[in-house]
Amino acid sequence: MTTERRSSAATDVDLDDAELDRQLDRTWAGRTSFWGAIAAVDHKVIARRYIVTAFVFLILGGMLALAMRIQLAQPEARFINADRYNQIFTMHGSNMMFLFAVPVMEAMAVYLVPLMVGTRNIAFPRLNAFSYWVFLAGGILLWISFALDTAPDVGWFAYVPLSGPEYGSGKRADVWAQMITFTELSALAVAVEIVVTVLKQRAPGMSLDRIPLLVWSMLVMAFVVIMAMPAIMFESSTLIMDRLVGTQFYNPAEGGDVLLWQHLFWFFGHPEVYIIFLPAVGMVSTILPTFVQRPIFGYLPVVMALIATGVLAFGLWVHHMFVIGLPRLAESFFTASSMAIAIPAGVQIFCWLATLWAGRPIFKTPLLFVIGFIITFVIGGLTGVMVASVPFDAQVHDTYFVVAHFHYVLIGGAVFPLIAGIYYWFPKMTGRMMSERLGQWSFWLIFVGFNLTFFPMHILGLQGMPRRIYTYQPEMPWGGLNLFISLSAVILFSGFLVFFIDVARSWSAGRPAGQNPWNASTLEWAMNSPPPPYNFRRIPVVDARDPLWCGSDELPVASGLRTDRRELLISSVVEALPEARESSPRDSVWPFWAAIATSIMLIWSIFSPWAIVWGSIPIAITLIGWFWPKGIAEDES
Amino acid sequence: MSSTVSGPTFSGPIFSRKAFRLLAIAGLFVVALAVAATVGLLRQPRQYRVDPPVSAALEGLRLMPNGIAGSPPEVYFALGQPYEETAYDLNQGKRLYSWFGCASCHGDGEGGAGPSFLDGWWLYGPSMVSIAASIRDGRPHGMPAFRHKMTIDEIWQLAGYVKAIGAYSAKLTAPSRSDDRQTRPAENRAPAAILFDQGSAPVRRPKQGPSP
Repeated sequence: MTTERRSSAATDVDLDDAELDRQLDRTWAGRTSFWGAIAAVDHKVIARRYIVTAFVFLILGGMLALAMRIQLAQPEARFINADRYNQIFTMHGSNMMFLFAVPVMEAMAVYLVPLMVGTRNIAFPRLNAFSYWVFLAGGILLWISFALDTAPDVGWFAYVPLSGPEYGSGKRADVWAQMITFTELSALAVAVEIVVTVLKQRAPGMSLDRIPLLVWSMLVMAFVVIMAMPAIMFESSTLIMDRLVGTQFYNPAEGGDVLLWQHLFWFFGHPEVYIIFLPAVGMVSTILPTFVQRPIFGYLPVVMALIATGVLAFGLWVHHMFVIGLPRLAESFFTASSMAIAIPAGVQIFCWLATLWAGRPIFKTPLLFVIGFIITFVIGGLTGVMVASVPFDAQVHDTYFVVAHFHYVLIGGAVFPLIAGIYYWFPKMTGRMMSERLGQWSFWLIFVGFNLTFFPMHILGLQGMPRRIYTYQPEMPWGGLNLFISLSAVILFSGFLVFFIDVARSWSAGRPAGQNPWNASTLEWAMNSPPPPYNFRRIPVVDARDPLWCGSDELPVASGLRTDRRELLISSVVEALPEARESSPRDSVWPFWAAIATSIMLIWSIFSPWAIVWGSIPIAITLIGWFWPKGIAEDES
Repeated sequence: MSSTVSGPTFSGPIFSRKAFRLLAIAGLFVVALAVAATVGLLRQPRQYRVDPPVSAALEGLRLMPNGIAGSPPEVYFALGQPYEETAYDLNQGKRLYSWFGCASCHGDGEGGAGPSFLDGWWLYGPSMVSIAASIRDGRPHGMPAFRHKMTIDEIWQLAGYVKAIGAYSAKLTAPSRSDDRQTRPAENRAPAAILFDQGSAPVRRPKQGPSP
């Protein structure tokens, strides 16, 4: 590897640290101008944008939830009318699933995976930049349409025929469909990058059994994305075709199939839950060992559970469709498979409990959120096993029981670990610690507020309150609990408010963190906080599962990479033996223009099918610009 | 921007330049949302139930003495002619068309026992007010009055939809195909115009019964 083929190629051999840092910084750092920021392809910069944008959408979606709680606080309230309420609950669901949960989890992967596997940038960094701009455009499309009073009003799963051409009037369902196309495009792009980064860019020696659990979970998540998302992209495209050009995909009278929609949607929609959940358990499995200061108990069972969850995720979508009258045998099969998913989940929970048991827990904010996650998620999992049973599901389908269940698994199962992850990695991302005192406050407010808000919804559901109703009559026995829920929601919101105040304050004025404030074991803590643009001065060589807990303060490193061009190390899939040096693309504004061209085409196609024809011309131009050789060192193979 | 300061420092301004830039971007987004919201408020809201005074005013069709043509009530213009323009009202009209059995005489617009809407031949003129009056009050030779079967709001919606069937240029807001057997292009593809584009063949005049 260290043989030099040309005299001009400068490598990192025989350079002292300061000089090496200077040269790497010159090669890898982006420009700080406006266009420099647009052109950035550094995975950390893109991921930070992703995370901030996703949290902005979380705040907006949370405000919609608050609006719904105000409306439902008392019977026959007139705060929001029926039409607006339809838009709001659709926006809340679509926004939280497609603009917050999936992007923020993928963004954590984009930030952390290259650091954890010891490489200098994510695979396909320009595609990464493109995916962010596309995601941003999709989010803006949805929110601008909401402000314009044309937001989708057909529920977050937009069942036909309600969303079809006959009943979904106006352009509302089209906005939903194209928002889906935008976000799934970006999600697919990120998933491909993660798979390639994990499989081909790991540091030498990081064989598959030494990958950090977060990286394992992100890898499984990426594969699930790649297999699940095409179903919904097909669906959003066929819906818009049905609506605009009169195809008959979902018209039974002309040979289409309404049920096809539900199958396609949940073939995506159920794995979607695991797309959100798997990264979250990866975070838990990474954070937990740090706060008990011992390696995870049962690395292999946890990895097996992650993979089993990813596989089983594709075998239980029909449990969302129990009440539409499928054959009895199908219902029984999917009941069994839905209950089977509790096994890998249980394996992980027992591994976490054993890790806690065997270690000495340090109750800092991230660990509190992890424990809150375990409690909340177990409750949500139990109600999940309940609704997996057909007779019970037939009773509570489309009631607040289901609303309670999926908020327990989504907030409990994903948002709690995510906030734990933010508290945990914030020092790495910004170089500053978050406040422990505010962290404790936000945890208790969120934990108590969450349970007080969502637990009573189980009871409301058993009392028969349906989902998605904009008001209810005073005669119904739901008034008291709804008022209680709305008041509890205020506690939950105040918890998130404390969290955001903490983030904003710590970002500019937090205590400097240093390299490894938590004494953690994974590679991302072996560099400055925030990491330099090139991540690692020299590529580390890994010979253990917890490389920073091996006793010595020094990591073995590999050398021989060039410093005058962006270059990273390609390694073999299983053993991570070094295979080749590969160039990594430089900053480019073309992904931005390509995303703009794609956005124009997708939004235009809501109004005219000719957008596909004429809109593809600018896309082709921007792609040609993107791939045109620029005569720089990175172009050499 | 890596800080290598030892110990806590709070000397800098509370908002760094980076935070300021973030705030500026967020502000831009909020401004865009606010502009869009203003436009959204100016648009006609989708109303499931018309206010009673508006509903009463919509009754005031001012027809010519022979019952053909005239002018709609003032409130129709005050509302912004929604029944010809908005996707929601046109779509509601389409559903009413099927619910009230219009197809049993008029087919999918091609006519049958009743006149066609596709051939450009409007017995009582193509104006909204004529069509609304035909639905509300009925016409000779078989067209029943729907005065006591539908609200005036629904009558206007249905009239708007009937007009959309026979439009020669497709409206963006016109309904798309229905979940049913397809007998003609959907309303958003101007089925009447396609009928006219068939070339030099003379317009086939369907049997429409005696003229009024």
